[in-house]
Amino acid sequence: MSRTHLLRAIGLISGSLALIAALLIAGLSPNRAKADKPAQQTEAYCLGCHNKPDLSLTLPNGESISLYISPAMLSSSVHSPAGIECEACHTDIKTYPHPAINFQTKRELSRSYYQACQKCHPANYEKTLDSMHAQAAKAGNQNAPICTDCHGAHDVKPPAQPRSQISTTCGRCHDQIFQQYQTSIHGGALIQENNPDVPVCTDCHGVHNIQDARTALFRVKSPDLCASCHANKDLMAKYGLDADVYNLYNLSWHGVDLSVYKAKWPTAWHTSAVCTDCHGVHNMLKTTDPASSVNPTNLLSTCRKCHPTAGPNWTGAWIGHNRIDIRRTPFLFYTQAFYSSFTPFVLWLSIIYVGLQIIRASVERIRSSLP
Amino acid sequence: MKALSKKDASTVSPVRLERTFQRFTLGQRWEHAILILSVAVLLLTGLPQKYQAAGWSQWIISSPVRLSQIQRIHHIFALLLIAEILYHLVRGVVLMTRRHLSGAIFPTWQDLRDAWQMIKYLLFLTRKKPAFGKYNFEQKFTYWFLFFGIGILALSGLILWFPLVVTRFLPGGIVPAAYLAHSNEAVVAAVFILVWHFYHVHFQRLNLSIFTGRLSEEELRTFHTVEFERLTDDKQSDLKTPGGSQ
Repeated sequence: MSRTHLLRAIGLISGSLALIAALLIAGLSPNRAKADKPAQQTEAYCLGCHNKPDLSLTLPNGESISLYISPAMLSSSVHSPAGIECEACHTDIKTYPHPAINFQTKRELSRSYYQACQKCHPANYEKTLDSMHAQAAKAGNQNAPICTDCHGAHDVKPPAQPRSQISTTCGRCHDQIFQQYQTSIHGGALIQENNPDVPVCTDCHGVHNIQDARTALFRVKSPDLCASCHANKDLMAKYGLDADVYNLYNLSWHGVDLSVYKAKWPTAWHTSAVCTDCHGVHNMLKTTDPASSVNPTNLLSTCRKCHPTAGPNWTGAWIGHNRIDIRRTPFLFYTQAFYSSFTPFVLWLSIIYVGLQIIRASVERIRSSLP
Repeated sequence: MKALSKKDASTVSPVRLERTFQRFTLGQRWEHAILILSVAVLLLTGLPQKYQAAGWSQWIISSPVRLSQIQRIHHIFALLLIAEILYHLVRGVVLMTRRHLSGAIFPTWQDLRDAWQMIKYLLFLTRKKPAFGKYNFEQKFTYWFLFFGIGILALSGLILWFPLVVTRFLPGGIVPAAYLAHSNEAVVAAVFILVWHFYHVHFQRLNLSIFTGRLSEEELRTFHTVEFERLTDDKQSDLKTPGGSQ
């Protein structure tokens, strides 16, 4: 009896020690990124073979992939100079000869290796899981973008260098929208002048958790996106634009309707015009541009998208994003002038007159009750 | 409600009977009832639309479907009110041209003199209240203020209801102007009814003649002295049939 107890105790203690040792080893495991150990030399070891330009591999589906890694490309990426070397991502390859390759296709290989990104970038990786792109992948689209499609794999560089690189990257897949964007006032200034103020794709669509822009929720919130720049007085003053457009829109028929939906039923589809309905989505132009959908010459046909029976006078009903003005909106000006004095006049007249009547009647009543 | 005959007045009755005078016809009382109904519904369905950001409005307009229902109710009662206004105008013009309706509701210089006298009385500058005819200047002001107010509301409301049709003939600028006018005028009219009209007919004295159609002799003598004298002194025949002045 005592001997079996002893054996059990020894087994328990040794097992616990082994577990602790395993945990310690795991904690110090060399698979973690080694930014603190730039002296590591696996890169040089790997490049011993992979610096040969003709090194390639044929995958089971017949696709041939180049295994050549340009040392110059590696050294100009963000990772290699920081000491993050090959095995940080290629965790399964520890020595030569390499273990057998299980991937059927090139895309399968990419979709497998990009999982390594989350080891160091967990927050951004998790954001991508909520994105439209992840939904596309879940629906079976293997070509839905993964980290490396936008950021690159061996040649990862800081994003936004230059800033136009962001939109150009999106344009690799979204080519038609990118074409439109390039001709817009925003895209033109970005691509041609590298303007730091105009929005790139990610400013409106988000970066890693890019959402479907066709939902009612996105639509109802879209004027706020525009307002994040167009209600900024300093930024708009730089380009001679009015920063009150958003506030004035919110007072308009469209804007009031929208604000009610935004506050109460943000996920219900609503039809009142938002910024992009009139100005265009990716192809918006300056109002003074003859090709702009809101240029006075095109305004009526833009109104008719929603108000098909509108006559030529209809555009006069739109006060633009302008304050009430005697010259531009005379009817509105005189109506407002009338009510701004008429309303208080009538209210004070009623209140004062009735008040005097109450006082007089009370005094009369008290007088008559006195002896 | 029956006019008293001479016979009733001469016999000693255990019941104290008071002579009454007709002030409004049955038709006029129905018109006022329709006016109350339509204006009340229009305000109840209109104000939540104007103050959509307020909590009490969101309690009424709880869904997009409810909003469109409320707008439909607003339109139906607007049509009722417009029909009533048109009937009122046509009836007034026809009866007046046939001399079946007096022009007592039209403002006169006497109203200005009465108003001045009333202001002096209210400011303790005199002890003498003005003596009024069938309609005093307060009642005429109520009538004409709401007459033009409802006119503005009906016109601007129709512009807002059919903006595409209206702008085929008129400049587009009147649409936002109508929006502003409709929104402002409705509140002015509502507050005016609540403060001015309700004080005069409910609190100053309870005047139910628009519902009963009649004023007592006491009321008529006190508040419409000139009218009382006209009805009682001018012709003795009026005593037999005190049927008002219409």
